Amino acid sequence: MNELIPLMVIVPLMAALLISAFSKFNKATKIFAFVVALCLPIIPIASHYGLHYFGGYAPIMDNVTNVMYHPAITYSFTFLQQIFIAMLGLLTFLVVFIYLTKYKKVSGPYLFLLFLGTAAVTAMLLTDDIFHMFVFFEILALAQVGIVAASSIDYSYEMALKYMILGSIGSPMMLLGIGFLLALTGSVNVTDIAAAVHNGLVDATSPVFLLSLGLIFFGWLYASGLPPFHTIKSGIYSKAEPHGAALLQSFTVVSMISIVLIMFRIYSTLPIFEVLVVFFSILAMILGVSLALTQTDFRRMIGFLAVGELGFIGLGIGLGTQYAVTAGLFQALNEIIITALLFIGFGAIVNATDEVDTRKLGGLLAYHPKVSIMLLIAGLAMAGVPPLSGFQSKLMLVQASLNCGFPEISILAIMVSIATFVVFVKTYYTMFLKPKPRELELEKKEVPRTMIFAMGILLIIVILLGIFPDIVTAGISNFVGGIL
Amino acid sequence: MAQTQLAILLTSAALVVIGLYSAIFIDNIIKKIIGISFIEEGANLFIVAIGYKPGGVVPILMPGMDTSWFAANAAYPLPFGLVLTSIVIGASTLAVMLALVMVLYRRYGTLSTSVMLADTSKQEEYDE
Repeated sequence: MNELIPLMVIVPLMAALLISAFSKFNKATKIFAFVVALCLPIIPIASHYGLHYFGGYAPIMDNVTNVMYHPAITYSFTFLQQIFIAMLGLLTFLVVFIYLTKYKKVSGPYLFLLFLGTAAVTAMLLTDDIFHMFVFFEILALAQVGIVAASSIDYSYEMALKYMILGSIGSPMMLLGIGFLLALTGSVNVTDIAAAVHNGLVDATSPVFLLSLGLIFFGWLYASGLPPFHTIKSGIYSKAEPHGAALLQSFTVVSMISIVLIMFRIYSTLPIFEVLVVFFSILAMILGVSLALTQTDFRRMIGFLAVGELGFIGLGIGLGTQYAVTAGLFQALNEIIITALLFIGFGAIVNATDEVDTRKLGGLLAYHPKVSIMLLIAGLAMAGVPPLSGFQSKLMLVQASLNCGFPEISILAIMVSIATFVVFVKTYYTMFLKPKPRELELEKKEVPRTMIFAMGILLIIVILLGIFPDIVTAGISNFVGGIL
Repeated sequence: MAQTQLAILLTSAALVVIGLYSAIFIDNIIKKIIGISFIEEGANLFIVAIGYKPGGVVPILMPGMDTSWFAANAAYPLPFGLVLTSIVIGASTLAVMLALVMVLYRRYGTLSTSVMLADTSKQEEYDE
């Protein structure tokens, strides 16, 4: 059913608007938000692969150049989109579920932002139109800022404004880059632009083309939270509610892969593109894990570890072979799940202790054993310990760098994984294994069941993907073969 | 390239450079936001310039118009459509930014970025 393809964007978008408009009816809003959130992972699973042309305008053959061009905004739905949108939908459902059960009176605007962000990243992943992608990239930035500002954490407004200012510089840069591509090719359809570049209709060495790469690349760095935007990205995670941060990091990962895949299709003929992606990814890996080591606020620690993991994704895509890109995309899927699990798990600890400083915590294993064990498995998965999903994707990345003739990158990836393990174990020991400080009150506070339920679901996926990685890697590999 | 088009492109470049300068170097948050608007408008103006055609006609096919003449003489409409969308997004971004500034101004009583965002900057310096 190809008609379901646009519904993946329309459903959360309409839900966001309706919830915002009718939020004064609290019970109805709760039921409606729950039902819509439940539909989000189901729609991509029920939909058939294919293309959707808005307005019904199918591609047209240009009789002069004998090239097909796309007059309409096109949505492309393949296995890659299916798995990522389904996972994003599941995560949105879990986050909305946690939110609905946490508060008696729900906030319409906050639910609006959660659904708006989901709709925006879904559109970014589906679209084959670079300007359409830019529009939703901007909408996503607004939703992210809103989610941060809506939290009750200190300095959330300041962090939101800072993120917005940086975004307002990054976005016009990307728009200028798109403008340069439009000037060169006369189109904003990615397939048309890529065809023009690969057929030699555009000089790939021209300064205008290179400038467009630089500008769009700058926007991508901002969207992905890669250096120099790594501190602000981890900052917004730490200033959002933990369940909101779980969703924010998934938005970052999906927007990162959406933009980089578009750039990959357009600029893959330029060796500098792959060099740039690998360089910034390695920088993110090193900076992410080093900065995580120095943190005492565990939300910020996970934020920096998440930035380091983004580096692994970029590394796979930057290496550019079918196996490497597959590994990078598999790593992206794993990161969405594992980091969300960590944010929700540590959110449960905040809920139970009202404390985020690791130095003031201790002995939590005895009081919250379920959360502790699930968090331990999630941390080990992030560090790449077998047989969990993070191990499979990192092993693929190490093999891919060796296959590409870069053993030094393989060694670096292994070292960063070991450093991630050290960071996590250090934090875990401090919070869960070390004797409880006298001033810490733990007895009366419980972790909400919905959080444990959400963690359980995500943990099952982590273990399943670790034992049976082929259920996703085969499909992702076919997709990558198609774009290469 | 027509002189008009060149003038538009130079103006858009000037807007972007001035905007970048004020967004990065000026401390007053309102001036910073004005600079950000300059960058956005520079980008929009650049895209409008792409669609400009010397001596071209408005890209609306009227009854009785010869289609081949129209195809040869009409300005390229796609950039105009894109800019329209971009302006709307820019306005939304601006509104959200100003709303955040209003809240922070009430809290700090100043428009100085170095005062308003001092605590988040301290955190980042520590991270660096």
